[in-house]
Amino acid sequence: MAVLEDRPASAPATTGRTASARSAGVPALRLRGLGKTYIKRRSILEMALHPWRRAERVEGLVDVSLEVPRGTLYGLLGPNGAGKTTLLKILACLILPTRGTAEVEGRDVARDDEEVRRSIGFVTADERSFYWRLSGEDNLEFFARLYGLGAAEARRRTRELLETMELGEVAKRQFMSYSSGMKQRLAICRALLHDPPVLCLDEPTRSLDPIAAKHLRQFIGTRLHQQRGKTILLATHNLPEAEDLCQRLAILHRGRVLREGSLADITAGLPGREQYAIEVTGIDRLPADPRWVLEPEPRRDGVRRLAAAIDRGGRPLSDLLAALLAAGGTILSCTRREPGLQEVFDQMERENPR
Amino acid sequence: MKNLGILLAFLKRDFLVETSYRTAFLLQFFGILMSVLIWRFVSGVLKAPADTPGLDGMDYFAYVLLGLAFFHYLSSALGSFSQKIRQEQMTGTLEAILVTPTSPGTVVLGSALWEFVLSSVKVAIYLAIGWAFGIAIRFENLPLCLLVLAITVLAFSGIGILSAAFVFYLKRGDPITYLVSSVSVLLGGVFYPPQDMWPWLGSLSKFLPITYALHAWRQALLKGATFQALLPDIVALLIFVVILVPLGAIAFRFAIRRARAEGSLVQY
Repeated sequence: MAVLEDRPASAPATTGRTASARSAGVPALRLRGLGKTYIKRRSILEMALHPWRRAERVEGLVDVSLEVPRGTLYGLLGPNGAGKTTLLKILACLILPTRGTAEVEGRDVARDDEEVRRSIGFVTADERSFYWRLSGEDNLEFFARLYGLGAAEARRRTRELLETMELGEVAKRQFMSYSSGMKQRLAICRALLHDPPVLCLDEPTRSLDPIAAKHLRQFIGTRLHQQRGKTILLATHNLPEAEDLCQRLAILHRGRVLREGSLADITAGLPGREQYAIEVTGIDRLPADPRWVLEPEPRRDGVRRLAAAIDRGGRPLSDLLAALLAAGGTILSCTRREPGLQEVFDQMERENPR
Repeated sequence: MKNLGILLAFLKRDFLVETSYRTAFLLQFFGILMSVLIWRFVSGVLKAPADTPGLDGMDYFAYVLLGLAFFHYLSSALGSFSQKIRQEQMTGTLEAILVTPTSPGTVVLGSALWEFVLSSVKVAIYLAIGWAFGIAIRFENLPLCLLVLAITVLAFSGIGILSAAFVFYLKRGDPITYLVSSVSVLLGGVFYPPQDMWPWLGSLSKFLPITYALHAWRQALLKGATFQALLPDIVALLIFVVILVPLGAIAFRFAIRRARAEGSLVQY
């Protein structure tokens, strides 16, 4: 990839007031008691049949309070309808919150929306957000002007970003001829046109093949976050992606934040059994005990791999290993499997069935 | 200056999109020729005498050609405010535009700009074809006509912005463009003088900006009227501007706020 102007996000092209807010240690994003209630519009028939009935209300977000320090890659997870997109759209000033406040770089999304838009780059997975009959280059130049860049600056920045995202060769081709990966990379280019300190990415790898998704994850993690220090809010369904990229996470469910913190914070204190992977040889019958469950995998070269779920606390692990040795086995390895987001989601589903 | 650059970016975008549909783009101009030809022959059949009330001694073909050209201008330009926003909603580009710092008002104006430019070219073609068919057009009065046009565009922009407000809020079913266009064509003196209608109906034409705009244009281009002669029409149009532009702006601001509060800004 060509060299992108590696100006760290701590010195982006923002206004003086924003810069002063940054120097005062204001977090990149701060949400306090944020709530959004949608009121469903009623059909004419419904209004005629039930003129006095109150319109249905749907809670999109309920009392969401978060702080995202500058330069953090922050994951927003949750099932469909959890409120991830509502939250991103509030930050992008497309939706007004019903309650509470949301600030981007110290600026309120309801009162200072124009300044907030200057500070934020918004990427959706929606391929329709471009003009299909225009070239990628013409699309970017158009949006660059809307971000307030002059004509010459818009052209320079467009070319630079197209090269960075390896789209230089197809710059003059109509957008409609692009592959899904190219379209998604162009969406990232657009979000970077005004070099914002904060990026909101709404499922950026959703429609990409595994290789394109991997490259995009690398670009987000390395180029945007590590090298340029951008604050990134990443909404995703992809749990390995969130585990791989994000420093901190929030799990939303029905508009509420269920868990928040680092992966370790979130998985700590999960109820249920601890998970271990054990490799053992020379054993035919597995020892049984109510304190553990062993799931053997097919034997390979005489080595048996066991997925063990063991009760927490006390001696169950020691007793299991002793039982394996007593049964004539030789233990080759025993590795604790850290619980991941999948376990958190499984737990969440058990606690909050749909 | 920055806003001018943004408006030019909209103009360039729409030019590139429009001309990418080459056949459709060229067919529009063919359509103008067809329309003028049809009215040439219709007026030949009608043979309306020049002393018909409201014609003011003008040839009917010349009368209807200017009505046609001007109505085409206003209806397509007026409709473009709401139609372009609706189109952006449907195609999914509106969200990408509204997350930029460009104000929604500039977005609406920029989106309508191309249609104004294209409609101006079409009006010029109408006039050129009319001139080729022997209509005596007073081209020396063109600056005066452009002044009337500019004021009329402002008045109709107020209506256009009002209709865009409806689209932002109601999505489908913008009643403003439909009402103004249909009432203008019925009462505004596009195809026949309002004086030839039932008096009570014809008198309603006084409440439409197109009536004054068309009267001024015809007087200037076909009869060589002076600025002083057109002053009553110009004042009437300015009154429409003073009423409609703030009304459109207030409604637009309200609609955007409501749509953001409802979360329906980019829904369709």
